[in-house]
Amino acid sequence: MAKAYLLLNPLAVYLLDEGGEAKTFYKLYRDDISRERYLELLYDMEQGKLPEEILEFIARSVEPGDELVVEDSDLGRFISSKLKDVKVVPAAGNEVMLKARENIANLIETSLGVSAQKYYSLLHELTLQLTRLKVKEVAEKRDLFVAQAINALDDVNKTINLFASRVREWYSLHFPELDELVDEHEDYFRIVSNIGFRDKITKEKLLEIGLKEDLAEKIANAAKSSMGADLTEFDLEAIRLISDTGLRLYAVRRSLERYIDEAMYEVAPNIRGLVGSLLGARLISLAGGLDKLAKLPASTIQVLGAEKALFRALRYGAKPPKHGVIFQHPLIHKSPKWQRGKIARALAAKLAIAARIDAFSGEYRADELREDLEKRVEEIKTLYAKPPAKPEKTTKARKGGKHHKGGRR
Amino acid sequence: MIRALKVREHEEFPGVYVVDFEDGSSKLATINLAPGIKVYGEQLVSIGGKEYRIWNPYRSKLAGAIYKGLKTNPIKPGTKVLYLGVASGTTPSHVSDIIGPSGVLYGVEFAPRVMREFIEKVAVHRSNVIPLLADARFPSKYAHFVEAVDVIYADIAQPFQSKYVADNADMFLKKGGWIMMAIKAMSIDVTKAPSETYKREMDELERRGYKVKESLHLEPYDEAHAFVVAQKL
Ligand SMILES: C[S@@+](CC[C@H](N)C(=O)[O-])C[C@H]1O[C@@H](n2cnc3c(N)ncnc32)[C@H](O)[C@@H]1O
Repeated sequence: MAKAYLLLNPLAVYLLDEGGEAKTFYKLYRDDISRERYLELLYDMEQGKLPEEILEFIARSVEPGDELVVEDSDLGRFISSKLKDVKVVPAAGNEVMLKARENIANLIETSLGVSAQKYYSLLHELTLQLTRLKVKEVAEKRDLFVAQAINALDDVNKTINLFASRVREWYSLHFPELDELVDEHEDYFRIVSNIGFRDKITKEKLLEIGLKEDLAEKIANAAKSSMGADLTEFDLEAIRLISDTGLRLYAVRRSLERYIDEAMYEVAPNIRGLVGSLLGARLISLAGGLDKLAKLPASTIQVLGAEKALFRALRYGAKPPKHGVIFQHPLIHKSPKWQRGKIARALAAKLAIAARIDAFSGEYRADELREDLEKRVEEIKTLYAKPPAKPEKTTKARKGGKHHKGGRR
Repeated sequence: MIRALKVREHEEFPGVYVVDFEDGSSKLATINLAPGIKVYGEQLVSIGGKEYRIWNPYRSKLAGAIYKGLKTNPIKPGTKVLYLGVASGTTPSHVSDIIGPSGVLYGVEFAPRVMREFIEKVAVHRSNVIPLLADARFPSKYAHFVEAVDVIYADIAQPFQSKYVADNADMFLKKGGWIMMAIKAMSIDVTKAPSETYKREMDELERRGYKVKESLHLEPYDEAHAFVVAQKL
């Protein structure tokens, strides 16, 4: 009764005798299989599966009753379930295989005619591709989590705004002047939650909770001369219930943003690198997943999130929207109005490429995409430096417009 | 920035260099195998037409060990290394520099996020690096990619790391080859004092037939680790 050792390599499968000599082998690396199929095969091998052709090779080469030594126990089980005549012996870390591994480059050269140099460069290339695919696969399942997280973030933002309006209205009964003075909701919540009564509000305390010097000074002065009604401990407690919740929501928001950023690094590093985590996650959410986003034409990506306006345009012949959520990108909203459509088109084109790389190959090319985009934007800015001859009526509307009251980013 | 004046090869360790700066300080460095590319924000200096990467002992335990007087460094030009726990590639990139084009580094890491960084920052630029997304506790899962190696370098911060390192060494380490291992005191077993954990890990290596030749503490560069070098007899 003989023993054979199954030695796996990405280029070939070998059967060794007890002296570590290769008795026979099966070539995996051939010109007639596509790279995709080949990578799939290597991937399966890692999962403890062998394709039919290799099973047949083993069945052909091993006499019934022979022992077959296999290093990986999953693979061992798989082989015994398929080849009933073969007696599989799992044995990791044996001398025979180790010896063969010392000479692997030689073995490859003599059996396949592939030089050592070629072997290492193939190995480098293959593991690079395979590892990227595997990383991507792990990440793939995460895209819908990111989509949910960005929606949750929107919910949190809405709730913050809702609670902020309530607390501002409520606390204004006691200190009406504060509302105008404090733009940031979070600062407002802090004053209510951490200081409370108007007559406790001093400049020192305001500085302690993180307000800027001149603002602290203004608030402290306003507190001294406020016209608001008095407040009991009992009333304040009730207001604080909501204000404390507002502060906690800010903490939640920051954690969610961190989570989204981390997750986007895995799910869609190119989109993240091009437009940032939050906008990127929003696009994935609107498309219904990374794969779906990757299949959209750039023109659709450009107006994602503006479906209502697009629908109106189609139905009533109004002007179609020039941009959807990508408007949130500073390259667009910080540009003059007449350039925005063109910039939006350039950005959407790069986003489509980024989404495809993230969905299909996973390599990191965001820096080069961003550079290309910036170049294109520069071009647009020089070519269309001046507003078109017949300016639209709304050209001056944006300038100096009302700024949002705190909270939102 | 303080200017680099000259460079010399380390007295004992081929492939490792020492750069002297104009303020009188000297720092370890390796020749950049991927010129122009930084891995972790390290300083690049050009001397005599070659680019060197300054090797930070506070970021890399192997550099820390050398600063602390490591006696044996089996990682040299041409060495084949199986590296367990490459993370985003700080130390592995210097190892890749040292072993050069005739060496090979098989880099195992199981966290996809850091593997992604490792690929884009290290593996794509260095043809001597073979990246493997795999769990070091199950060496038979990546055995088909790995040949027999001269050195197993392990820094996976796992409890019972020695057991897994020995499992790998049984499969892949040549006779006479070396294990280099960072042992993390805290994460291995919080209930034990560091020296007890270190001892337990070293005993395990010996029990499995690997002779511990050297062990050192890495402070002040790293407070929580010991560094061990062992040989397969
Ligand atoms: C301390 S870091 C390594 C740092 C790296 N050696 C350096 O000096 O640049 C430890 C790494 O080991 C990885 N790791 C932990 N357990 C592992 C396992 N069982 N298999 C593979 N990688 C593992 C972790 O994900 C982490 O990235």
